[in-house]
This record gives sequence, structure tokens and C-alpha cells, in this order.
Amino acid sequence: MPERVRSRPGSGVAAVAAVAATYVYFLIFAEFAFLELVRAVAPERLRLVMAGLGAGGVLGAMGAARWYAAERSQTQLAWAFRVCAAAAGLALAARGVPLLLAAGVAAGLGLGAQTVWLAAGLRAALPPGRLGLGVGLGTGLAYALCNVPALFAATPRQQTAVALGVALAAGWLPRAFARSSSPSAPAAGLAGAVLARWVVVLLALVWMDSAAFFVIQHAPELRAATWEGAAALAANAGVHLGAAVVAGALLDRGWHGRIAALATLALAVACLVLNGRLPPVLPAAWWYTAGVSLYSTVLVDLPARSGRVSAAAWIYAVAGWIGSALGIGMAQDLASIPSRFVAVAAGTVAVALIVRWRAVTAGALVLAGGIATPGRSADAADAPVSLGREVYIAEGCMHCHSQFVRPRVASDVERWGPAAELGPLLRATPPLFGNRRQGPDLANVGNRRSPEWNRLHLQEPRAVSPGSRMPAYAYLFAPGDRRGDALVAYLASLGAETAPRRQEMIGRWTPRAGPVLPPGEARTRFVQLCAPCHGPEGRGDGPVAGRLSLRPPDWAVTPWRHVPREADAEVALARIIKFGLPGLPMAGHEYLPDGDVVGLARHLRALHRGGSPALVVASPP
Amino acid sequence: MSAAGGAASPPFGRTIARHSLGWLAAANLVGVWLGVSLLWPAAGDLLAPFTFGRWVPLHLDWQLYGWCALPLVGALVAWAFDPGHPAAEHHAAAAFGAWSLALLLGGAGWLGGVVSGKLFLDWQGWTRPLLPAAMHILWALLAAHTGWRWRRLSVLQRSLRALLLAGLLIVPTALYWAADRGGFPPVNPDSGGATGASLLGSTLGLVTIYLLLPALLGLAAPRRGGWLAVALAVSWLAFVAVDRGHASHHDGAQIVALGVLLLWIPLWPLGWGAFGWPAETRPWRHAAAGWWAVLVLSGWLTFLPGLSERLKFTHALVAHAHLAMAGLVTSVNAVVLVTLTGRPAPRGVFAAWQAGCALFVGAMLVVGWNEAEQAAELYRGEGAAQVGFILRLAGGLAMTAASVRWLLDAWSGRKGGTR
Repeated sequence: MPERVRSRPGSGVAAVAAVAATYVYFLIFAEFAFLELVRAVAPERLRLVMAGLGAGGVLGAMGAARWYAAERSQTQLAWAFRVCAAAAGLALAARGVPLLLAAGVAAGLGLGAQTVWLAAGLRAALPPGRLGLGVGLGTGLAYALCNVPALFAATPRQQTAVALGVALAAGWLPRAFARSSSPSAPAAGLAGAVLARWVVVLLALVWMDSAAFFVIQHAPELRAATWEGAAALAANAGVHLGAAVVAGALLDRGWHGRIAALATLALAVACLVLNGRLPPVLPAAWWYTAGVSLYSTVLVDLPARSGRVSAAAWIYAVAGWIGSALGIGMAQDLASIPSRFVAVAAGTVAVALIVRWRAVTAGALVLAGGIATPGRSADAADAPVSLGREVYIAEGCMHCHSQFVRPRVASDVERWGPAAELGPLLRATPPLFGNRRQGPDLANVGNRRSPEWNRLHLQEPRAVSPGSRMPAYAYLFAPGDRRGDALVAYLASLGAETAPRRQEMIGRWTPRAGPVLPPGEARTRFVQLCAPCHGPEGRGDGPVAGRLSLRPPDWAVTPWRHVPREADAEVALARIIKFGLPGLPMAGHEYLPDGDVVGLARHLRALHRGGSPALVVASPP
Repeated sequence: MSAAGGAASPPFGRTIARHSLGWLAAANLVGVWLGVSLLWPAAGDLLAPFTFGRWVPLHLDWQLYGWCALPLVGALVAWAFDPGHPAAEHHAAAAFGAWSLALLLGGAGWLGGVVSGKLFLDWQGWTRPLLPAAMHILWALLAAHTGWRWRRLSVLQRSLRALLLAGLLIVPTALYWAADRGGFPPVNPDSGGATGASLLGSTLGLVTIYLLLPALLGLAAPRRGGWLAVALAVSWLAFVAVDRGHASHHDGAQIVALGVLLLWIPLWPLGWGAFGWPAETRPWRHAAAGWWAVLVLSGWLTFLPGLSERLKFTHALVAHAHLAMAGLVTSVNAVVLVTLTGRPAPRGVFAAWQAGCALFVGAMLVVGWNEAEQAAELYRGEGAAQVGFILRLAGGLAMTAASVRWLLDAWSGRKGGTR
């Protein structure tokens, strides 16, 4: 039977404002400015004061449930806001640890009680069927307000003053709340095992949120990327508000499980991006803000909708306060968010929700877990080559590149280097022979390409190899991600044992007689293949040149570096064009027909104005 | 009844069709994306880190364990399940649901980079037990239904079913074991690919299953089929006799042994022709026979020294794989689905699929044949290779459209004819 509500004008607005005020106080003061005030006075006592804050929160929440009185609920809530205001005032006045500790305990007590009593009153205060929307709007507005640059960039004392004012003003709001005509009409559902499951779900979410917040806050580059600049703050505010309002509207349709699952996914991705396990597909801040807004709305809506004060107390005491403490503590101790923790947290949420959302939730979360798991050994502290091999497997390089030179196929050996014996190859787990060559064979790539070239090519394939079909793997080289360097190390290790044989083979190689690329076409081919490094006129001014450790020479003024004085210059140049220079960024073009190679060699000679004396520089090993 | 000698379509035929066609469409959509990202790599970069190599296992494994396997699993279920059992439909839904869930989760893992590095055996890490688990669920249901029907079965039927169930019980463990990174099949030392014996064994396995299919589907057996059993036994003897180690394609015995398959170009279609198939399966059966002939002949030819050197590692291999999967297997599976559901594929599906497949295979064969001389064009994404890739995409789109059309039809409320 629908609950009868004594209507009161402005009740809904007051409820939204009260939700917003509660979150503003928590976000700008309890979670941020207060800690900065403590850090400024006694950084070594920060944990003690935080423990006081947390203990106060747990006591406040549980006490609020014990002493809740429906007929005096508006007064109780108003006084909770006032206690919060007083705590902020005390923090402003405090100059030593004892008063700061007292302020922390008071803030915890007030906030703990305030959240429980607010949740108890919202169901009556907001229009039927609009509870979620109201909560979402209040939550989103609070997060958006906290991202207003003037408030965000204010000093901790200014922020504390704002929090004081907000709490003080919010003390007047409960008067406008509509009240239920029936003093105790809790909805069925959020009790017993169901409540326990939700406490676990929200605990995991608050834990992840707090840890992620702490990591971002204490890493200058992450902090800069997340919260510096008006544009970033405006984007955060928009994501917060949008996500919270949408979540609220969906909660009115009973989407609690799905919203919690989505929040878990978003926070898990944010955590994995922050610890470098995932590349920043989207900025971590966006995942983080969306996830936080989603679950924050659930955090208020769920107990409010149930009408059970005890449920609110358990959720805020255990999930809210203890979850925050665990998250911050973990981040303080480890300075990161371990992938295993993320996996366990996501798995825990899945198990907790699975009873109701068996298919959807389990699928979505395992999907998230699967996508978030970069590969078998990416978590292992392997040597770079071993890790690089895992990356090679995980990224599916074998679907385009073989690692097998056929010993009886002359063109294979000429292009890709000497064949290796089958026995040792089969001892790899597993052998990575592949079965297609949409790109070159990589069996001996370590003696065909320098690590520097491989790195550039992986990051921007078409900048180095125009027309290449290879995807860009720049994300493997993101700060803190070891995978890119490991992959380069693995590629450098391939073919080490065949390098001497290949050098002998190159020394014997001469171009086959046949049609040679005409000068005009040779110039076109040069511009296409060589200009990215050498520039269109061979001046060493191509767009990639500046990124190379050894800048390509300016052939207008520089003698040949690698053409022996006594050698046939055309053949020597053809060898360099076809096979590259081992250890240097100059890569070979093994797949080019000999006629193209000779045509390019002649074009190079035509470009060369660097004087006749040839300079011999020994190739590095 | 649309054809003589057929059994009634099982009540769960549509469940089989929906799951099978769902995976066909999903794998094809991934295939189209692969074709797009090869032509326009910058488009693929948009989804980084889910790059080309991450998507390939989804295409390969969803085709193999989804589309290629599920219709055959459906035939097995149709044969073993008790159609009169009140929960038969529910059981079929559970078995196919578990299988599909395994594929879905497997796909998530593969996309996340959790792969083995062994083609078609990407079940690795946390995904490794998924499909074996689904297989065990299927096996338990098969065994339960066999138990419920036990008293109504003859001694011969009981023996055959017990034998088959015992054999099937090994499959999940075998798959789990095969996915281990430590094991690797014999390798042709001169090509880095499969040996002749391996190719012979895997193809004979397919022939054996295909010869059993009409019986699993409940079609009346021909009067004289003993000669097929003899031919099959002789073929398996050839497999047993040939060197199954790391043998080269330059080894004459390997060439001759693989040549045994040539006998099956006429034998298998002849064997199938003796059964009373539904009339709606006719075009698919003819197409299957055609693709089978091309597959076996081209497979044997490309194994020969000289041709192997030219075509190995090239897109001709892609052509060959699609000859097998998109040409032969799809046509056979279409026969199975039409038989199990009692309804033909929607109008236009057959033509679109076969034309798309032919275009795809032809384009890849030409690209592969020219690859040795035109590797530069292939790597630079220009010239004839690029035209071939565009044609391939067109063929892939046609096949995808056909599969989606058929899937939608399977999901629609229209009921097919009950035979």
C-alpha cells in the first residue's frame, strides 16, 4: 500500500539540497580540507586524527540508528548538520593536535548521524517515484560544485569555511521536509542476507574509490591530469552530474544491481589505469568520476528507499567509514592499487550481486575482469625478454608475423635471415611459428632492426613504414607500463644466434641483374619509403629524424658514412637499403625487388653532394 | 513431411539454430572488423588496446567452437536426448547456454590478451576450464537422457550410446590438455606448418563425423553402406602407417598418405546421397560437395613441394581456411540446421553466402599467389594486394549479411514446417 505523505511545499527541493550539502561537506571538508589542515599542523599525527574521524563516523552512524525517533527526525537531522558545522569551526580554530582530534571526532559523529537520519527522511521528503532522481541530482550537484575552480583551488581554510557555512545553512532544510504519516513503514528487502550483500558491495566500492582518490591526490602527474585546469574540472563536473542524475533515474526503475555493477567496472578500470595495468583508453579521471557518481547515488538511494534506519547505519558505518579507512590505508602503505585487489574487489561484488543479477552481473564483471587482465605474465616480475614474449602473445602479433624461416626457401633466407634448427625452436612454450605474413617474418628481427627502430615502429607504424597495416601500440609505452620496453627487448633477442651468419650472407649479396626502377619512380619510392627519416632531398630532415638517436646525414654536405672507400658504391648502398645497418636506426627493406633497390641506390648517389672522399665508419656490433 | 525417411524435428531445434547462428554472425562481424582494420589501420587504432591481434582469436575461436561445433553438438543432442522428456527443451537450452557463456567469457579473455599463443587453442589462464566445464554439463545431460531412455533401447543402441558417451567424456580433458602451452603437435621442418599425417588425421576425423551425421540426425540408413566403412578403415590405416612425427612435405610417403583424401572427393558425397535428406537441404548439400572437392584437391596440391613453398605463409592459406570453414563446414552445418529445425534458410541467404565465400576465397587465392613477388605492395597497402583486400571485405560483408539475416529469421516467431 502506498505510504501516505504529508505534503509540504519545497520538500523535494529541500531534500535535494540536503543531499548536496551532506556530500559537499564530506567531499570538501571531511575528505580533503580537514586532512590538509591536520597535515599542515602535525603531519605525523594524520593517521591518529583520521582514526578519530573514522571512529566518530562509525559511532555516529550506529548511535543515530539507536536513538532515531521518527517524530523528531527533522530536528535530529538539523542538529546533526549543526554538529558538523561546529566541527568545521573547531577545525578552523584548532592550532594543535588535541583540538584537531576533537574536531575530527565531532565531524565523524555529526556526519555519521547526519547520513543515517537524512536517509531515513528522504523517502517521505521526495515525490514518490522520484526518490532516485532527487538523490542523483543532489549527489551530482555536490560533486559538480566541488569541482568549481574557485572552490576547488581555494585554500583548506577557505574550503573549511565554505563547509561550515553549508552545514550551518543546511540545518534549516529539514524543516521543509515532508513527513510520513506512518512513523515506521520500512520497505521489505534490505535486511538480513540482502543487507549483508549490499554492505559488502558498497564496502568494495568505497574501498576502491578511497584508494584511487588517494593515489591520484598524491601523484603530481595524475593529480595534474585529473584536477588541474578549468577544462578538466568542468569535464569532471559534467561527468559527475550526468552520471549521478542518470543513475538516480535508473534507480527509480530498480536498477540498483546494474548501477553497482557499472560503478564497479568503472572504478576497476580507473584503478587498473592508475597502476599502469591498463593503458589510458579514456583518462582514468573519467572512469573514476563516473564510477564514484554512480555508486555514491546508490549509497544514498538504497537505504533511503528501504526506510530502515538500521540498514542505513550498517551501510554507512561499515561500507562508508570502514571502507574509506581501508582504501586510504592501503594506498598510503602501498602507494598503489594492486591488480589483485581490484580483481578480488570486482569478484566480491560479482558474488554479492550474483543472486539477483546472475547472468548480467556475472557476465559484465567477468567481462571486465577478462578485459582488464593484460595477459598471463603481465603481473609477474619477469625479466624483460620473458615479459616481452608474453606481450607478443597477448597482443596477437603471431596473427600477422611468422617466426619461421624455411631452410629450403632461398627467398626466405635472403629476406628474413638464416634458418634455425627445429629442435630448439620446439622447446619454446609454445613455439610461435605463426602461419601468416601480413608483415615480415620476425625470426631474426633482432639482427635486422635496432631496438630504437622497433620502438618507434611500435608506437607509430605508419610514421616509420608508410602504408603499414600494423596497429599502433603506443599504449604499451604509457608511463609506468613495462610492456612496451619488454616487447622491444624480446624482439631484440630474436635471432641473436644467427647474426654472424647473416652478416656473412649480406657481405656476399649482390643485386640480381634485371630491370631497374627508372629515376622518376625511384624518386617517388624514395620519398615514400626514405623521406620520413632522410627528408625528400636526403638532407636528414625528415619528420622522424629528430626522434632518432643518430640523426640521418645531410648528403648535400656529408660524405658517406658506411660505404667503404674501395667498394662499389652502388652495391654497398644497395646492401644498406636492402638489409639496413645492424644496431642503427637504418632499417632494411628486405622485401623490395632488387630492381627497386638498385634504382633507389642510384637515386641516393644522385642526391649525394657530400664530396667524393668516402668515409668508412665501422658498424656497431 | 518434406522428405522421405526423415525423423521429426526435435523440439529444441530452434535453440540449436539460435546459438549456432548467433556465433556465426558474431564471428563474422568480428571478421568484417578485421577486414576493415587491415584496409584502414587508423580505424583499428581507435579501439586500442583492442587491436587487430586481440580480435583475431575471437574470429577464429568463435567460428570453430561456436559456428563449426554447435550444429554438430545439436545433432548429437538430437540423437541422445529423449524428445518426449518434459524438460528436454530446458535441458537443451541449459547445455547450449553454458556453451555460449563459455564462448562469451572466452572472448572477453582473448580480447583482454589472455591467450595461449597456440592457434585455435586460446583457452588459457582463467578461460582454460570454461569450455571443458560447458562440455561436462553437456555430457551430464547426454548421459541423463540416455539413462532415461535406457529401457527403451535395444542392446545394440545401448552399446553404441555407452561407447560414444565414454569417448565423449575424454573430450573436455583432451581440450584442456591440448591448450597447454607445453604441448605442440608435430611440425613439418621445411615449412613450419602441419605435417601430411596431421592433415590426413584431422581431415579423416571430419570425414568420420560427417559420415555419422545422417545417423545422428535420425535419417534412415541406406541399404548398403558397408563399402564406406571399409574405405574409412583403409584410410585410417594409411594414417596409422605413415610417419606421424616431424615429417617434411618433401617426404613421398607424406604426399601419398595425404593423397588418400582424394578418394573421398566422390566417396563422401556419394555416401550422403544415399540418405533421405529433406528437400530443402539440397542446394547446401551440393555446395558442400563442391567446396569439399575444391578443398581436398587444393589442399593436396598446396602440400606438394614447389607449390607449398610459394603459398605457405601467404593469403592463399587464408583462402584455404575459408574454403574449409566458410565453404564446406558452413554448407554442411546449414544442412544440419535445416534438418533439425525443419525450416529452410531464408530466401537469398544461400546465394549471398556462397557468392561471398567464392569472392573471398578467390581474392585471397590471387593475393596469396602473387605475394612472393609483391610482398612490398602487400606491406605498403597498395596495388593489387589492396584490391584483393577490398574484394575480401566485400565477400565478408556478403557472408555477414547472410548470417545476420538467417539469425533474425531463427529468432522470429515464424514456425517452420514440421516434418
